[in-house]
Amino acid sequence: MTTAHLTRAQSNQRFAYSLLAPSLLLLLLLIGYPMFYNVYISFFDVPLNPKMPSLFVGLGNYLSLFKDPTFYRSLLVTISFTLLVTLLSTVVGLFTAVFLNREFVGKRWVNAIIIMSYVVPSICLIFVWKYMFNNIFGIVNYILVDILRLAKTAPLWFDKPASAFILVALFAVWRFFPYAHMSFTAILQSIDNTLYEAAEIDGATAWNKFTAITYPALKQTLATVVSLRIIWVFYIYAEVYLLSSKVDVLGVYLYKMAFATRDFGKAAAISIVLFVLIFSLIMLIRKKVFKHEND
Amino acid sequence: MKTIKRKTVNEIFFYLAVILMCSILLFTFVIMLSVAFKGAKEAISYPPTIIPAQFTLQHFKDVFNARIFPYLSYFGNSMYVSLAVCVVVVFLGILGGYALARLSFKGKKYLSETFFLVYMFSGILLIVPLFRMLSAAGLRNTREAVIICMIVQTLPTAIYMTRSYFETIPIELEEAGVMDGMSRLGLIFRIMVPLSISGLVSVFVYAFMISWNDVLFASIFLDSSALFTIPIGLNSLFNTPDYIWGRMMAASILTSLPVVIMYALSQRMIRGGLVEGGVKG
Repeated sequence: MTTAHLTRAQSNQRFAYSLLAPSLLLLLLLIGYPMFYNVYISFFDVPLNPKMPSLFVGLGNYLSLFKDPTFYRSLLVTISFTLLVTLLSTVVGLFTAVFLNREFVGKRWVNAIIIMSYVVPSICLIFVWKYMFNNIFGIVNYILVDILRLAKTAPLWFDKPASAFILVALFAVWRFFPYAHMSFTAILQSIDNTLYEAAEIDGATAWNKFTAITYPALKQTLATVVSLRIIWVFYIYAEVYLLSSKVDVLGVYLYKMAFATRDFGKAAAISIVLFVLIFSLIMLIRKKVFKHEND
Repeated sequence: MKTIKRKTVNEIFFYLAVILMCSILLFTFVIMLSVAFKGAKEAISYPPTIIPAQFTLQHFKDVFNARIFPYLSYFGNSMYVSLAVCVVVVFLGILGGYALARLSFKGKKYLSETFFLVYMFSGILLIVPLFRMLSAAGLRNTREAVIICMIVQTLPTAIYMTRSYFETIPIELEEAGVMDGMSRLGLIFRIMVPLSISGLVSVFVYAFMISWNDVLFASIFLDSSALFTIPIGLNSLFNTPDYIWGRMMAASILTSLPVVIMYALSQRMIRGGLVEGGVKG
């Protein structure tokens, strides 16, 4: 290597660092540092008055958290919610992607309709759902009870933990399945159509075609979609909190602990537990699932 | 003959299934429109109606009337926050995306892995320290606190997206620029940026959608209703006993419009990319 090359490489390096510096500084300052600060806060009892000094309590916040039955209930709700929503939103997205993977009249419109629930701000959708599922004049209960006669009495969607759980899960599936649909559609479009035609000549059924051609092509994307959805739903806060006060997932539990109970120390401890849970999951699946993301 | 008949039947079933699916997916939006255009009493009558018996534009008039409904103030705050986030994020995305796409440097692999980890991270984990830090910095009850948090939330994805757009641009174009004696920043802003406008628009739309939708940081930092963004503003009205459904739906439609329009436009732009023209010319 000549000296000219070396200086060029060095100046490349310096230029790259200066381009990345502002972004790195922001991320360090507002994600890296707060993460450590979080650990620090979790060892303190933080008084409401910011002028009062915080009291060191060691592992006190963690001990009180692990003794709190609300925490375990919340953990259980979060895990079942995450698994249910991830499973359903992926299956629905996979089904629509495979089902609509052909030419037909109005394809662009149908795709636009599918993406609507993913694009429109969640607060707008939540208002309509609150209206549609209303106990007194809601059209959903009208259809269920008075038209289809599927239920004798109208379910009180928002007021009972079980029905609220179903309602919020349904909402999350509707909101998140377009992401799976779009990811799968992109891959399906790249599959050579002659493969399917050849399979048809050999007398393959739709299921045969799916397992022999579609699934192998989708496998990697499927793993990524499922992993990202698990991680994102595990953290969910806004949609659940705005739709019903009866579904205490960990995100809501954490938010309430910080800004309703105003126990910052314990809220920080919840954040750390949440972080450790998700981070170990990421580390566990990182090598297998996200390999191609970092090329 | 028989196979043709079977094919027609299959086609009919296919289209029926598509129509059924679309009706279910559109139901929420039909109700949104219906309630926005019907009277306040009809909205809470039983049995419910889908097509308004009496069509009214009153709710839209009310939404624009600042004396009875502070929607325009919320809209302005949301616009201010979202646009500020977009400008910063697109700019930093261009710089960082270029470094990752075109330059080799020590720690590059490590760095893109870190970005990917941050991408999977969530703001909810940091609400306590961020609230303490930004409050101590005197940013409590300011829109700037929300802007700063949303920039950090969207930045890793923005850099990732920009990098992949930049990677599609042929390196020969830059070499031509070097021949013409362009500076390194000139290469970025006079060659790469104009050629990836459609990609940068989708980064802009992504950051806008996320910021426009934010509930978490707005609800933590904003206390006075004059600073409320749309999601927390409307939600605070929802919790008062005298909200009117039609008004809420009219406001919801107006809130959805900017993102729906932006998203549709960005999809159209990606289809007609500018890169091909660049190579030929």
